[in-house]
Amino acid sequence: MARATAAQGFSWRQFKVMLRVIMRGEQHLDSTGMGFGDDSAKRRTGLWGKLGSGARKVAMGFLFLLLAAMFFMMGYMLGEFGTAPYTALSLCVVCLVGLTVLTGLYQAVNILYFVRDLGYYLTLPISATTIMWAKLAHFLGMSLLGDLILLPVGLGCLLANGAAPGTWVSMTLAFVLCAVAVNLALVIVCVPIMRFSRLASDKDRFSRVFGGLIVVLALVIGVGSQFAVQGDGLASLASGSEQLLAGGVPAVVMGVLCPPSLLGRFVVEGGAMSAIAGLLGMLACVAVYAAILTVVARRWYFEGVQALQGAGGKRGRRVEGAELTRATRTRGALAANLSRDWKTMVRVPVFFNQFVLSSLLMPLYFIVIMVVSGAVGVSQASEAGLSPAELLEMARSLTVLLTFDSPALVWCAVGVLVFGLFLGFSSYSFTMGVSRDGEDFFFMRGLPMDWSAYLASKFVSPFALSTVPMLVVIAVALVVLGVPVASGIYLVGIYLGATISLGLLSLGLGALFPRLTWDNEAQLVKGGGATLMVFAGILVGAVVMALPALSLLSCVLWGILAAPVALGLSLAIFVVECAALVWWVLGPCARHLSRLER
Amino acid sequence: MIRIDHVSKSYDGGATNAVRDLSLEIRSGEIFGLLGPNGAGKSTLLNMLAGVLAPSSGTIELDGINVVSNPLAAKRNLCYVSDSPDHLLRLKGHEFLRFIADVYEVPDAVRAERIASLAREYGMEGELDNQIQSYSHGMRQKMMIMGALLPDPAIWILDEPMTGLDPKASWLLKQSMRRHADAGKTVLFSTHVLDVAEKVVDRVGVIAHGELLFVGTVDEMREHFKSNGSLEEMFLELTSDNSPFAGSGEKDHASEKSASATEAR
Repeated sequence: MARATAAQGFSWRQFKVMLRVIMRGEQHLDSTGMGFGDDSAKRRTGLWGKLGSGARKVAMGFLFLLLAAMFFMMGYMLGEFGTAPYTALSLCVVCLVGLTVLTGLYQAVNILYFVRDLGYYLTLPISATTIMWAKLAHFLGMSLLGDLILLPVGLGCLLANGAAPGTWVSMTLAFVLCAVAVNLALVIVCVPIMRFSRLASDKDRFSRVFGGLIVVLALVIGVGSQFAVQGDGLASLASGSEQLLAGGVPAVVMGVLCPPSLLGRFVVEGGAMSAIAGLLGMLACVAVYAAILTVVARRWYFEGVQALQGAGGKRGRRVEGAELTRATRTRGALAANLSRDWKTMVRVPVFFNQFVLSSLLMPLYFIVIMVVSGAVGVSQASEAGLSPAELLEMARSLTVLLTFDSPALVWCAVGVLVFGLFLGFSSYSFTMGVSRDGEDFFFMRGLPMDWSAYLASKFVSPFALSTVPMLVVIAVALVVLGVPVASGIYLVGIYLGATISLGLLSLGLGALFPRLTWDNEAQLVKGGGATLMVFAGILVGAVVMALPALSLLSCVLWGILAAPVALGLSLAIFVVECAALVWWVLGPCARHLSRLER
Repeated sequence: MIRIDHVSKSYDGGATNAVRDLSLEIRSGEIFGLLGPNGAGKSTLLNMLAGVLAPSSGTIELDGINVVSNPLAAKRNLCYVSDSPDHLLRLKGHEFLRFIADVYEVPDAVRAERIASLAREYGMEGELDNQIQSYSHGMRQKMMIMGALLPDPAIWILDEPMTGLDPKASWLLKQSMRRHADAGKTVLFSTHVLDVAEKVVDRVGVIAHGELLFVGTVDEMREHFKSNGSLEEMFLELTSDNSPFAGSGEKDHASEKSASATEAR
């Protein structure tokens, strides 16, 4: 072991070579599918390929700038409401640490360990410390680019406070040093975990755990933001962040995770000398963490990588006799395809996180929002002297009015359509149905496949995951609120019409333009193209809902149609749309797949 | 029987041909070996036979069924093992075989027995409950071969099937091929391992640059070259730049040779 440790010295020349290789395109095994790896997409060729690639970059740049502008405005508003620059910096740093702790560990593990090329690096005469630092430099570069999206909150506050240009520079430097420090701290923790933890050596399990954590985080952020942005919520959040850094146990935790965060006040609020001293202190903290990491890595990184290379082998039971007969009994084409697709989706962590957990996120989100809003409403009502039963009775007295000759029901139907449009974000699961198969698709092209059954199976899984749970939530809400049965069934019909037509159109488009040539699953579901596809779902939703929406609006806005006619017509349009889309998906789209070549 | 009639395939709209005006007939009851260097067009040809690729021109018939106009019926009549065994890796062995049996509509009465028998033969009994991704390359190849043999169709098309197999599995596959052909059915396989071709095939076809350079028995090939050398030496001579069949100037001559060789059979 001593020999191995001694051989792990750092070489600057090898570091540069490794960094260049890693930046040129290393294959990562990002198993969460949350976009934490850096698989460079294949270089596009041809005019359309270059145009598509260029358009995607422009769109992604636009999205980034949009978010940055939004955060800047939030910071500006904070400043306008009297928040001090240090408080805004505290908010940025606390958010940075929170996000990095929750997502950064997986990110670091993915970059440092789950790399397909790592097995090859092990065969080269390069020290583990050099490999790790080259990877870490790459990781830090990528992380910093992502972390910088939070900085505009602080800068916006500086603008509102009319801060001097020097303060802008020092705040930026302070934020960057905080980002580097927290990432180094994470890697210091991650190296021993990867060396000694059993969980870490099972990549699939590790990915699922982090996928689950990220979904919980998204839920907390989503629900939290609903309440934080109301009133002075954001300002309270900022002052809370400042208190976290003020002292006590939270400050100790923050000091361990991100030591430079404790020096932020000197950088932003003091004079020039104080700022320089603060920045030097921050730099010293980063240097200490880098030194600790070098020692830790020299000891355990190489061993962790070696342990991971040999992990994953499992021995299953022997299946024979009656059990084998049961396990291989005959199914129809739809059931066979559905079973195969479902098993693949659930067993590939990327797909599990992206298509199963994320699909369940929306119903969960609505349930939590409904429960929290209900609790808040009941609490406010009881303050006003109303019991929950009385409140419910009031609501029911209103929903009784939802009859077929009432414009209120038409407005409810419009609301269902708007909700359906919002569900366009999850239509991505349908669009990606065929693409999920990748190279396996071409294996199945050699089989006597029933492509209609294949596509039908691609509809069932996402429909069951995204639409059915929401349907249950809606049905419960309709019953609790006492909506008349016929009206409730009508609204459910509209909801099903909207979601089925949206799913079918998305599935058909995904079948006509599948992306089947990817190296690992994460490539498919992350990055600019995938993000744009999520937003494109809204457009698809708008297309399928345009005619029914016009029918409804022609009643309530323009008074052209009577309410019963508008309601009937919109439902009839959905029925026709769904029938046409079923024919299109099971006919032309299935035929297209049966002829698709590499 | 496999009938390939003036088949060409281009991936770039006709600028170049991966397979060029190829005609060949493989009769029922024979094992036909397709030999050729890397990039010769073997996999393209086999992919067209399996219906994965559509020919740019020409027709392919499997037992009288046109692969392009009636792909489903044609595919029910064949099994295809591609040159890569990395498919459906997240399924367990028995799940993969069940999926294949469902797609080929293998009757309930025989499928479990056939799966058990194949697993026993190929030494995979203890592996059926594991995901294919946990298998070694050779085990994955065995699983693909088991999947191909499970429906027991009339025509077997195998692309480099011996790659990665251990000697026992390789021997078993050769035995299966022989039994299949002796039962009056058809086996077509490509290989780089010339010794395998020499020992197993009834007839051999040599393909290079998308053209069929020679069709005949190994003995006829020897006679043609007046050589007592190994198949390897003949193969190298056929596919070398100095070969009388190489180069576009000799294209017609080569086509005539292959056509006459086919007719002579």
